[in-house]
Amino acid sequence: MRGGALAAAAAMLAAPAVLRAQDSTGSAPVGVRVGITYTPGTRPSVAVLPVATATLDSVRAVLQRDLDFSDRFEVLMPPASVAMRGGAPNYPGLTALGTDLAVAVVAGPAGDVDVQLHDVRTGSIRSHLSVTLPAGGEPLRQAVHRAADEVVRWVTGSPGVAATAILFVSDGRLWRVDPDGQGLANVPAAGRPTLSPAWSPDGRTIAYTAFVPGGRPLVLQDLASGSREVVPGTEYGVNITPEFSPDGRRLAYAHGDENGTDVYLYDVARRCCVTRLTVGRYYDNLSPTWSPDGQRLAFVSSRPGSPQLYVMSADGSGQEALAPFDYGSTGQSNGPEWSPDGQAVAFHREVGGVPQVFVMDLATRTVRQLTGEGRNEDPTWAPDGRHLAFASTRGGVRQLWIVDLETGRLRPLVTTGGARLPAWSPRRTFFSEAR
Amino acid sequence: MMTRLWRAAPVLVLLAAACGGPPAPAATTPAPAPSDALRAAADSAAAARRDSVAAAARADSLARAERERVRADSVRMAVQHISSDTAPQAVAGGLAAADSALLADAIHFDYNRADIRAGDQAVLDRKLPVLAAHPRLEIQIAGNCDERGSDEYNLALGERRAAAAKRYLVAHGVAAARVAIVSYGKEHPLDPAHNEGAWTKNRRDDFVVTKGAR
Repeated sequence: MRGGALAAAAAMLAAPAVLRAQDSTGSAPVGVRVGITYTPGTRPSVAVLPVATATLDSVRAVLQRDLDFSDRFEVLMPPASVAMRGGAPNYPGLTALGTDLAVAVVAGPAGDVDVQLHDVRTGSIRSHLSVTLPAGGEPLRQAVHRAADEVVRWVTGSPGVAATAILFVSDGRLWRVDPDGQGLANVPAAGRPTLSPAWSPDGRTIAYTAFVPGGRPLVLQDLASGSREVVPGTEYGVNITPEFSPDGRRLAYAHGDENGTDVYLYDVARRCCVTRLTVGRYYDNLSPTWSPDGQRLAFVSSRPGSPQLYVMSADGSGQEALAPFDYGSTGQSNGPEWSPDGQAVAFHREVGGVPQVFVMDLATRTVRQLTGEGRNEDPTWAPDGRHLAFASTRGGVRQLWIVDLETGRLRPLVTTGGARLPAWSPRRTFFSEAR
Repeated sequence: MMTRLWRAAPVLVLLAAACGGPPAPAATTPAPAPSDALRAAADSAAAARRDSVAAAARADSLARAERERVRADSVRMAVQHISSDTAPQAVAGGLAAADSALLADAIHFDYNRADIRAGDQAVLDRKLPVLAAHPRLEIQIAGNCDERGSDEYNLALGERRAAAAKRYLVAHGVAAARVAIVSYGKEHPLDPAHNEGAWTKNRRDDFVVTKGAR
């Protein structure tokens, strides 16, 4: 996966004139420029086989969509007359379709469901997974999402991101949604509006800024119980842009008072000890984002006059400009998020007064612009390092969209108007427990 | 642990106040010569003045610490609930309409700046006599921004804009304890349009009387 991303990035750098994705997927809309040339047929095709019952079909539907949204396959849905023979996969028929892989959902012996990956060439089951189906609704869909992520792992070597969630703000309130756009639910949070939602690495705790009368504190909230605590010291001033360290033990955030805004660290693990990392006077340092090894923080600083990207060691030393900019002419740059593979930082930068999503390659320190249609802000990485969710007005109102950086494929995530500040969850611990 | 330290701050101030009372007269001091009597009296008067100034400062810092503690407690309490943060209701009460209007006059800012523009200093200056004439008035300054830049950056910028106006008022004699600041970032635009006309209106400090108008 990473090799593919690097190769694509290298190809882009070698031919910087090629900025617009070829529209050969048929789904890459005008205005998304991913700098990647996509050739149909290079992704493996996977046939999702027809099933016998309505229950199995609802499982198949979720699975099929997850595989499609993984953007790693050409998903085929052959009719039973081609794909099945006597209730079993029709391998010759599937071979004739040009697919080497088929996914089947069959009833297991104990009321469970067996998700099978068939190798069409050898006519055998390559991998399979027994899924105990919870009764309907959200738990059932989550179980199928986890199975879909496993299917992606079987084929590509790294799991999908269907069993994750995205937090965002709409109408000043906090919401969660699955990456397939389902499971939209309000997360009761302190204060309104709430801003800057962030996930702990285990997916159990969230942090956010709460607008409450008299304060802008940072709140840590346990997702399961809903219990909340205020990060000490954030009862005062403005407190924004929390980000958990990759080991979950520290929280980087920005605290602002009458003299400016600076980046601080709070020791979440020991529930003590606030350390100040930047010292600004009448300018702002904010939006810290951790490198995956926990050694460095990229952040936004307005020290050059307008907000731009900077980077420092996690102890505050070695502060320097990160993404190149020209004093006075480059639009302000905000909302950085370090990619899960450590190789890139996504952010948004104003071009002609309109924010657009950029990705910076850290090895070369070059930036490329991903979007050009409407206002596009606050990119957040999926744990697979190839998908970004961001807020965009390209559909007329501000909504959340997901782009796959490797194919340029773009789709709306939620049609909730006014959606903003998305935060993509890590892979949750229940994922590894389910294996 | 930090929480406990924050809570302990007023107690520490109290302790400091207890230790810092007027010094006990030294019994062993020899009686001063008559020529020194006037100087001693003057010294003693000066010392008393210093003490009363110090006492007032202590009382002020005690009051401020208490006020901050109460506010921090209320913020922690508020987090346990789901409440919308609405702008405080202005209490106009017995203020003359003209005075209310002067206090409420907004000031505006250049793009991405938080310094008071020369023209807006006059707007702030006109608030000074009203605040001086009504010493119990307390106000809140709310910093606001246009839509450019991230939601969070604008929250920080709004804080600096509110702080700039507070600094100006305090430098011109208004007690800091009477002026609260808050940032709304770009959450409360006056004009939601996406053009320079709207942005100019939205980059502003709003002033609200929160207490003391009778």
